Amino acid sequence: MGLPLFDAHLDPGPSFFHYAERAGLTSPLGETSTLSPHATTVIAVRYNAGVVMVGDRQATGNYIASRDVRKIEAADRFTAIAISGTAARGIEFIKMAQLSFEHYEKMTDSALSLEGKANYLSPIIQRNNLSSPLIVMPLLAGWDPSHQIGRIFEYDGAGGCYERFDFSTIGSGTPFADSALRLGYRSDIDLDGALELGALALYEAGDNDPSTGGPDFVRNIYPMMVTITAEGFRELDAEDVAARFRAINDRRTQSGGVAGGTLR
Amino acid sequence: MSNYFYVSPEQLIKDRAEFAQKGIARGRSMVGAIYDAGVLLIAENPSASLNKISEIYDRIAFAGAGRYNEFDRLREAGIRWADGTGFTYSREDVDARALANYYAQHLGDMFTEGQKPLEVEILVAQLGSKIRPTKLYRVAYEGTISDEPFFAVLGGDAETIRARFAAHEERIHPLKETLKNAVDALAGPERTIATADLEVGILEDRGTRRTFMRLSDNEVSELLS
Repeated sequence: MGLPLFDAHLDPGPSFFHYAERAGLTSPLGETSTLSPHATTVIAVRYNAGVVMVGDRQATGNYIASRDVRKIEAADRFTAIAISGTAARGIEFIKMAQLSFEHYEKMTDSALSLEGKANYLSPIIQRNNLSSPLIVMPLLAGWDPSHQIGRIFEYDGAGGCYERFDFSTIGSGTPFADSALRLGYRSDIDLDGALELGALALYEAGDNDPSTGGPDFVRNIYPMMVTITAEGFRELDAEDVAARFRAINDRRTQSGGVAGGTLR
Repeated sequence: MSNYFYVSPEQLIKDRAEFAQKGIARGRSMVGAIYDAGVLLIAENPSASLNKISEIYDRIAFAGAGRYNEFDRLREAGIRWADGTGFTYSREDVDARALANYYAQHLGDMFTEGQKPLEVEILVAQLGSKIRPTKLYRVAYEGTISDEPFFAVLGGDAETIRARFAAHEERIHPLKETLKNAVDALAGPERTIATADLEVGILEDRGTRRTFMRLSDNEVSELLS
């Protein structure tokens, strides 16, 4: 790779993705597919001081390919990205996002806004999903320093970007996780409530969706739980996460597997 | 048909060198120096937004002297090269020496074949790690690359500043002293430079992947007091 110099009218600007495309660093385009994303459950819940994210750890093909995948990563200090769909493209997508945000910051000496980051990812998702059978569906959540709130952005298969003000889920476990979230979410939810609800929704998905890995008490592998607040991206300790899932599991054992409680 | 007059290669190179030197001399100077815990880059720069010093990669920084538009384009190319190389291979494969060589090749090509030589000097600084040493690579307008052991001076008044700075810097000092010596060398005996007119960046390990940090006016004043 030589020194990437461009004439002013051809210059890709501070966008790493556009530079990478021009330099042939991105993956080739192929045929469109009608396959929908499979496997995975990742949940994002917005609460009064940030966002909580919970993600399962299982990679599923025709069999369980891996039990300790990390599907949520910090894209930068205040932003988290989660992926569902094809692992290879998902990992490349996370790498591209991380690199792009940092690249922009170095090129312009200023950080992208959270909304800017969310919009930036749209054409990257579109490029991948509309020209490849290897679908990837991400979820972006972060702390917005200019508005002092946590924000969640979800995408459709064609790259459309939508802000969610309550919660969002991606992956095959969505129907189950979403049901739990819809019943449990309150607009004034706090950190502990959001963590509890997120864990419960993931437990539900793991319980009902064969492609979502619930807590694995045998191997001591638990879903990932992170918070994104004014202090930045933080992953909860393994013991803390284990205790939360053990508590849910104990309650479920006592009720003989019945999930219901007070509904409204 | 246009007429071509014979110009000897010696004369051509002399003219081009003079042209580049004059252009560089119009800008203010800057100093890069290794201190006991990292690398200091300091430039006299009245603008707070048109930077001469920049982060390139996790452990690599850039500084330019001379014409802003020319070295800023090289800075952007450097960031693209570094991010592209790290994306293709691995973050640990991004090496300042390779980048300095690319700059040297480009400046050399422009000097001999370009419409006009670039009126810039470039410094590529690398903070050492387990696999690479701490380095200062200075690339001159004609593509000469030099590996400076303790410090490097770029810009118009480089020789005078170099002599002033060399009086203190035969060995490696802490940041406070290095910064003070650099500011004294840039200012000279008859002049003082306001903190607001200094642009200061450091490469230093702080337990994070990225090691570049800009020092604010307050931080610089505190170190100089």
